[in-house]
Amino acid sequence: MGDKGGDNFWVASAGGKSSMKTKPRKDDSSGKTKKAKKVQFEYEGATQENIMFSSKSGGKGDLRNGKGDKGSNGPRKTVVKKDTTPLELLVEQELPKNVNCMMDCEAAEILEGIRDQMVLLSADPAIKLPASFDKAFEYAKVSSRFADPQSVMQALQILRKHGAAESEICMIANVCPETTDEVFALVPSLKVKKSRLAEPLKDVLKELAMLKTTKDSPFA
Amino acid sequence: MFFHIVLERNMQLHPRHFGRHLRDNLVSKLMKDVEGTCSGRHGFVVAITGIEDIGKGLIRDGTGFVTFPVKYQCVVCRPFKGEILEAVVTMVNKMGFFAEAGPVQIFVSNHLIPDDMEFQSGDTPNYTTSDGSVKIQKESEVRLKIIGTRVDATEIFCIGTIKDDFLGVINDPAGA
Repeated sequence: MGDKGGDNFWVASAGGKSSMKTKPRKDDSSGKTKKAKKVQFEYEGATQENIMFSSKSGGKGDLRNGKGDKGSNGPRKTVVKKDTTPLELLVEQELPKNVNCMMDCEAAEILEGIRDQMVLLSADPAIKLPASFDKAFEYAKVSSRFADPQSVMQALQILRKHGAAESEICMIANVCPETTDEVFALVPSLKVKKSRLAEPLKDVLKELAMLKTTKDSPFA
Repeated sequence: MFFHIVLERNMQLHPRHFGRHLRDNLVSKLMKDVEGTCSGRHGFVVAITGIEDIGKGLIRDGTGFVTFPVKYQCVVCRPFKGEILEAVVTMVNKMGFFAEAGPVQIFVSNHLIPDDMEFQSGDTPNYTTSDGSVKIQKESEVRLKIIGTRVDATEIFCIGTIKDDFLGVINDPAGA
């Protein structure tokens, strides 16, 4: 039960934060906002760590708002369905400028290069790759569906011209959606540019489907 | 998501490591110190891919250690709120399930699992739809969305959801 409470708190704090952030809608939902805030305060005294978490959470959706309410005063499932502010990716805002997003397939290629190099260097026992390297490499390998990152990048370049951010492009490559609807559902930040993106996106997805390697091949 | 990033660190080196191999020593110490660590801002430092610049050393008063500012490129892995990723389920219980995407741990609470999926206890605890067509158990691959993250010194822990369109099981080990 303790776990459950903790989880609810996370959710509650994030929701409270979100209601503060979504300023334009603050007026029409002030009652809800207050409630969410109250939940946050109730828990804030609990642990230091939780406070840190709540202060870190960025903008996000009503999804958790509903959950927050649930934690405080009984189930209210309808709110969960009203997902009006979907959780958006804020990669560009959260990271410093000298950062380049990488697709999983790019990462897999680079990490493989490093691992091969380490095999040669492994005579020196002082240098050892940490466990997180193996895990990250394994993950990149399994989740990358393309054998040739360059051509994938090339295919996705068109989206950049139409205003998609680097992180959004990478996510499309990582998730490898099949339809445009899937793209807009999974990367809600693209919805704003939907009118401009829908057409080029169709072609890009077609191209990606062709570049896709069958998922089983890396394990064969 | 993976990133390529340039980071800077002041490395302290003992004078016994000086000489022809100073640079090599500095780089291997950097790798030992940095690889595998994680921070809230950058996530996991997975691997160093190159050294951009090693600045002039500065002798520390009283100790003889020399501090070198080192700029290095590295691959980092950091989950973001709103990111969609594919994870492998590691444990299922009535509270929800745990999954792993590379070095990142994710917990999906049962509130964030679609309402039509019920917990089934037994040898292999799982979440199953009423018609039995979809099952989440250990080793299942799920596509989930990150909704919260917490970082401590050695690991990154996330809260995820599969209660949304286009999320859920992608590969069921039992069905394969």
